[in-house]
Amino acid sequence: MGTVPGLKEDCEELLGAFQQADTVRFERFAELWRERRFHTVFYGRMRALERNKLTKKTLELAQQYFFPPYSFQIRVGALYLLYGLYNAQLCQPKQKIRIALKDWPEIQKFRQDLLDSQHYDAAYIFRRLQLARAFHFTAMPKLLTYRTKKKIEENYFKEEFKDPSNRVNSLITNDVLEELMNIHDHYQKMKCVISADKSQPDKALSLIKDDFVVNLKDITLEHQEWQKNKMKLFQNAKETGETENKKKEKALLESEGSERANALARIKYRSYSAVVEASKSRRHRQVQLESSEAGSSCGKSPSRSKKSSRRPQPARRRSEMQVAKETVTWHIGMPVITEENSDE
Amino acid sequence: SIDMLMSSEKEEDPDVIPEDSSLLTLRIRKKNLERREETIIVDRACRQETLTYEMESHATGKRPDNPTDLIEEGELLLTLNIFYPVIFQKHKDHKPYQTVLVLGSQKLTELRDSISCVSDLQIGGEFSSQPDQAPEHISKDLYKSAFFYFEGIFYNDKRYPECRDLSRTIIEWSESHDRGYENLQSVKMEDYVFNDLSLKIGFPYLYCHQGNCEHIIMITDIRLIHHDDCLDRNLYPLLIKKHWLCTRKCFVCKMYTARWVTNRDSLAPQDPCFFCDVCFRMLHYDAEGNKLGEFLAYPYVDPGIFN
Repeated sequence: MGTVPGLKEDCEELLGAFQQADTVRFERFAELWRERRFHTVFYGRMRALERNKLTKKTLELAQQYFFPPYSFQIRVGALYLLYGLYNAQLCQPKQKIRIALKDWPEIQKFRQDLLDSQHYDAAYIFRRLQLARAFHFTAMPKLLTYRTKKKIEENYFKEEFKDPSNRVNSLITNDVLEELMNIHDHYQKMKCVISADKSQPDKALSLIKDDFVVNLKDITLEHQEWQKNKMKLFQNAKETGETENKKKEKALLESEGSERANALARIKYRSYSAVVEASKSRRHRQVQLESSEAGSSCGKSPSRSKKSSRRPQPARRRSEMQVAKETVTWHIGMPVITEENSDE
Repeated sequence: SIDMLMSSEKEEDPDVIPEDSSLLTLRIRKKNLERREETIIVDRACRQETLTYEMESHATGKRPDNPTDLIEEGELLLTLNIFYPVIFQKHKDHKPYQTVLVLGSQKLTELRDSISCVSDLQIGGEFSSQPDQAPEHISKDLYKSAFFYFEGIFYNDKRYPECRDLSRTIIEWSESHDRGYENLQSVKMEDYVFNDLSLKIGFPYLYCHQGNCEHIIMITDIRLIHHDDCLDRNLYPLLIKKHWLCTRKCFVCKMYTARWVTNRDSLAPQDPCFFCDVCFRMLHYDAEGNKLGEFLAYPYVDPGIFN
C-alpha cells in the first residue's frame, strides 16, 4: 500500500510542461509525452499482482488532476494523461479509471465546455476513452482499503496548477452587485416617497453612504488587480516561465465573460455618472472619472515596505473585469487600507 | 493514429527499464529492482501471492453458458469485506477478512449461504467413547438461524421452520429502556435484495449466526457492472479474496491437519493436544476399537480449513 514513489513528481513535471506550453492541443501533449517516453512508466520486471496494483495506483493519481480545483488547462492535460496511461498500461485486462457518481455532473460540464470552446481534440479523446470502456462508475472515488496507515498523507496540491480561488469574486458577483444596486435604488425611492420633498430624501433619513455599492465594486476590482499584480511579482521573482496570460483560457472565457462584462459596464455607467466629492481628509482618495482601459496594470504594490513611499496614490485604473482565474492562495499580506490620519 | 502517438515504435521489452530515463519513477524502481536482485536468491511468487492473484482474477471476463444467466447492463456490483471471527493476537492491527462480490439484484439469503465460517462446521459433543459417530451433525444443520443487521433493521433468515429470530433479544433489550437507539425492526431476510437496502460505504454492519458467531461486514465499493467483469450470474456471490490461515497440524505426524483435540489426555504430552484422524485412532484405541487410557476427545475444525 502507499504511493508509487516518484510518480507524483513525474506527472506534475509533465503537466507543468504542458501548462507552460500554453495550449490545449493534443499534438503538443503527445510531443511532451514522447520526449519523456512516458509510456515506460509501467516498465520494470514485476509479476502480475504487483503490476495490477501499480497500475491502479497510477491511474488513481492521474485522475486526481482531472477534477476541480485545478485549472482548465491542467484538467485537459490530465485527460490526455489518463488517455496515455490507460493505453500504455501493460495489465491484461486493463485496469480502469474510477469515476464517482458525484463527479459525473462535473465531468459533463467539462465536456460541454470543451465542445463549446471547440477543443474537439480533447472531446474526441474523452469519447475514445468512453468507447474503450475505460471507466468504472462507482459510488465513491477511492476504493477503501483497511490498513492502518503509519502516517496520514496529506494531499498537497501543487500551487501553480491550482485554479486560483477567488473568494472575493465568488462572494461579490455581478448578480450580487446588481441586486444591491436595485435594492439601493428602491430604498432611495422609498425614502423620497415618505419625505416631504418628493424629489429627494430628507436629510434625517440619510443613514447610509449613498455610494456604498459603487465603493464595494471598486474595492473588489482593486482586490483583483492587486492579486494579479502580486502573482506577476511572485512569478518574476521565481523566474519560471509559467505563462499567466492564458490566452486560450481567455478566448474561452471571453465568450462567457462578455455578458458579465456588459452587466458590469451597465453598473459602472450608472455609478460613474455620479461622482461624490470626497471630504478634505479623503481628498487623496478622490474617485476620478476615467475611462476604463483593458489590461492595464497600475503597478500598485501593496507590500508594507513600500507603504511609506506611496504618497500620491495614483489614479486607479479600471480594467475590464476579467473572469478571475488568476488569484493565488499564497499567504501574502493583504493591502492595508490606510486610515486618513495615519497616512503621512 | 492517435494511438500511434503514444506507444513506442521499436520493439521494447517492458521488463527492462531503459538506462537513461528521465522519469523519477523509473530511476527509483530500477534501484529497488537492483536491490532485490542482490538480496533475493529465488524471486518467485509464493503460494499466498499466487492464491491472491488467482482469486482476484479467476472469474474475470467469464460468460455463462446459458444466456438467461447473463448479467444485464446497469446491474450494481457491491464489494463486501466479511471479517473472520477468529481472534488471534497477531491479527490485532489487521483483522483478516474475505472479500465477496455481490450483485445488487441478489437476495440477502444468497450472501448468507455463501459465507463460509468455521463455526458452521463445528460438531458439539464429546466423542471419546464413540469416535466413529462423530461427524453426524454439523452446526450448520442444527442451528440454522442467522441475521444481518443493516441500518437499524435486522434481516432474519426464516426459510426453515427451525430458524428463530435471533434479533428479538436485542430488540427487546433496546426497547426496555431508553437506550438511545431508534426503532430497530426485524424483517425476513429472504424478502430482500441488496438493491432494496440503503447502505453506507465503510460502515460496519453485522452478520450473526449460530447464535453467537458474529462477523463484521463492511461495504467497500459499489459500482456499475462492467464489460470485463464476470457476467455469469451463477458465480455470484463471488469470493475474490480470502485470508490464508495457517492450519494446526497433528502433533504426531506434523503433516495432516488436526481433526481431533483431546483434553486431560493421559497419553498426550500436552493439554490440549491435536491429532489427525489416523494418529488419533492409532494412539487412543486398540485393534478392537477399545478406548485406551483416560481422555476427552472432541472433533476439531481448524479455521484454516477453507484454504
